[in-house]
This record gives sequence, structure tokens and C-alpha cells, in this order.
Amino acid sequence: MKKLTYFPGCSAHGTSEEFDSTLKLVLKTLGVELEDIPDWNCCGATSAHVMTENLAYALPMRNLVLAERLENTTMGIACASCYQRMKVTKVHLDENPDLAKRINTTVAEEGTYKGSVNVKSMLQFAYEDIGPGTIKSKVTKPLTGLKVACYYGCLLTRPKNITGFDSPEYPVSMDRICEALGATATEFDYKTECCGASFSISNTEVVESLSGKILEMAKESGAHAIVVACPLCQSNLDMRQPDIEKHQGTRYDIPVFYFTQLMALAFGYPAGQLKFPRHIVPVEGALANIGKVEPEQEKVKKPIKAVAAESEVE
Amino acid sequence: MNKKSGANVLECYQCGKCVSTCPVSQFMDFPPREIMQMIKLGLKNEAYMANSHWFCLTCSACSGRCPREIDIPAVMEAVRHLAIEENYLNDSKKVKEIRKFHEIFLDMVKRYGRNYELRMMAEFNIRTRNLFKDMHLAPKALLKGKIPLGVKPLKSAKAIRRMYQVADKLEKNK
Repeated sequence: MKKLTYFPGCSAHGTSEEFDSTLKLVLKTLGVELEDIPDWNCCGATSAHVMTENLAYALPMRNLVLAERLENTTMGIACASCYQRMKVTKVHLDENPDLAKRINTTVAEEGTYKGSVNVKSMLQFAYEDIGPGTIKSKVTKPLTGLKVACYYGCLLTRPKNITGFDSPEYPVSMDRICEALGATATEFDYKTECCGASFSISNTEVVESLSGKILEMAKESGAHAIVVACPLCQSNLDMRQPDIEKHQGTRYDIPVFYFTQLMALAFGYPAGQLKFPRHIVPVEGALANIGKVEPEQEKVKKPIKAVAAESEVE
Repeated sequence: MNKKSGANVLECYQCGKCVSTCPVSQFMDFPPREIMQMIKLGLKNEAYMANSHWFCLTCSACSGRCPREIDIPAVMEAVRHLAIEENYLNDSKKVKEIRKFHEIFLDMVKRYGRNYELRMMAEFNIRTRNLFKDMHLAPKALLKGKIPLGVKPLKSAKAIRRMYQVADKLEKNK
């Protein structure tokens, strides 16, 4: 059995509780045991690094020091913002011993930072340490017929020199996982566009404009649903979707799942355990596509000229 | 600036790729390319007073595409930190709100060790005098349990407060 140190992040007890609980279900099926960091604290994202340098390193560093007390050498992080703050801190502290020494004075009572714990996002762990092959072997109810747009956001793959995972422009790890579940991943160009992140509260118009484009492109790609691995992306795209629809004067009606919810569904967990009622945009319409087989001819797009010619005839 | 951000601003040859990549450049007084040029020309006041560094979301799309591989978000962050330290206050409504949000967030973490989402949203509305902002979301979000009413503070919440004090001292002794 694999063991993993777990950092859920604050939103796991709030807006993204469904990510946390379904993650635990699928890791149980996959034989991974999670060990919580005792008394972990907020990583400071995104406000600490906006306002001050020292606190931006100190908050994640305390968690890293606490994690070093445990036996496991890898920390898995659910929230994408937490993942990025933790990874940035780790990379900078490891590169710069003077910085590590200075910041360590803020968390001296917890111990000395050694740099012995590796940091991964849960998406990275699922893709690299478990792999689509193993995931596929656990599927009992394939999601055939469901078309999904995999949305990664900014933080899981960027900046490349910090995350070292997948592509910063066109990542495919989540697509491969969804395909292993039997779903179809659509060609989606807005995979790593920003959703507006923490401007959700302080500058809602920015979120409405940026997230609106993502919803628009996902819909255009032919997806029934969007799949994410970040709590802030989920809440911006789901909770704010009715506002965005008003802002853009259109209707998207496209639910936003965590990849772990779809994994749990394909692993045969009953829908009752997957927290679907927490979604603001109802999920039933999208899930009704599971099991439907699409007629072949729909896949072939007609050339524009032919369409124009047809309408002339009419 | 180079020392503070770890990036070499002088490498910038003003191609503008960052501007077309940046998801929020349309909301900025000056897009990232112009901020880079201001720094090169030593236009400190202009760069610090612009709202650009407050709008930067650190999404790193620009640095990923920058042909000179400059860490532009790190430059934006350095400008912001220096502007805060040296009291360059951009008092436009938007910047004030963004800043207030971050202050409230850090205050929540100082008090509880973790973020308290509901209280943070409530305080933001009170302190920006916009009581009804997002109120239409509240019934659904609360009923569905999407936003919980309480937060469980850390056992070692006091240790976090001590950490804040030490970090504050480090900030002042720079």
C-alpha cells in the first residue's frame, strides 16, 4: 500500500469539500493511504505573496517542516493554489540556503527545515504515481458517451521551472485520466487560461469576463461538462456561472466536476456519495449522456462552403 | 529591481508578447510591457503608482511565452512589495478593494490559522461598504453547504500569531 502525506487546504473544509471526500474514496480504491499533516495551517495563497515576501514563505514553510516529521517523503496537495505556494516555497528555499535560514526563524518552534519532502499536486500524483493504466483497471462503470473539457487553470503546470509537470500550454494528464475512465476529452484551447482566481470576491467583473470565455470555449468544443483539479476554478466556473450568463447574455448550463468525482463515479461509487447536490449548475443533464453512443456522421464537420451552398438552395 | 525580483529586466526587448498573453492587461493602466520599460527608464513613481501590479494574477502565462525568459510576475511582485513598503498608494477604488481583500484574508489566517471563507466575504462587504455584494449567491451556497458557517481554528493558532510577529520584524529589518 502506498502512503502519502496529505495537505487538503482550507477550502477542503468549505467550498471544495466534494473534492476532498471523493479524493479519499478513489485513493481508497487505488490502495493509497493518506496521512494528514497534524495541525496544518493556511498556505497564505494568494494574499500572502501579494502583500509581503516573508510571510509568503513562512506560512508554507511551517507545513513543510511539519510534514518532514512524518515518514512519507511525498506530500500530495488537493488545492492548486496551495500546491503552487508550497512548491514555489520549496524550490526557492532549496535553491537559497540564506533565505531558508532567515525564514526558518519564523517557524523555529516547529523545527529546522531540511527539504526532505517532495511536493506534488493530486493530479500529478494520480498521473505519475498511479497512472492511467491502473486507473483504467479499477473502472467498473465506464463513462462512455460523456464528453468533457479538461480545464487545468494556471497553477498546476506553470511556471514550468517550478512545477516541472506536464505542459504549460497544452497539458494532457487530466485528459488521459478522463479517457481511462471511458469519457471523451474534447479539443479545448482554453485549458490553461486564467479563471480570474481570487478576484472572485474583490473584482468580480474580471472573473465574469475571464471565466465567461472559458465556459464559452468549453461549450464550443462540444463538451457536456468541464473537469477541474482546482477548488477556486471550480467555484468561479460553477458558483458564478449564473452571474456570468447574465453578464454575457447567454446560457451555458455546463456543470463543473472535480476529476475525482468522475473517477469515483467510474469506479462504481453510488452517485449519492459524490456530493452532486452541492453543485450550483445541475449535473444530471450532462451525466445522462453516459452510455449514449453518438452516430458516426455527426463527428465529420461539413466544410463551410458546402454549408453555404446548402443554405442557398433552401 | 533585478536583485529583488531575481529577473533581469534589462533583457526585455519590448516585443509585447506578454501584453497579448496577459488575461488582465485590458484592466491595467499600463500593460506589462510598458511597466518593464518604465523600470528600465527609472520611472519609479509611474511604475509604482500604476494599478498593473495589483491586477497581476501571477498566472505566469507571460513568463512562459517571454522570448527573453524574464520572470515578469516576479517583477510585478517586486514592484508591488516596494510600492507597499515605500507607501506609494494607488487610491483608485478597484485597487483599494483588491488590497482590502488581501488584508482581510491575511487577518483571517492570523486569527484562525486557516481561512474562514464566510467571515472573509462578510468583512469584505462591510469594509468596502457594499453590504449586498454577492448576497444573491448566499441562500443557495449556504443551503447547499457550499460555504460552511464556521471554521475550526488551529490548535496552534498562537504559533501562527507568533510567526506573523517574527515575519513582521524581518520585514521591518530589511
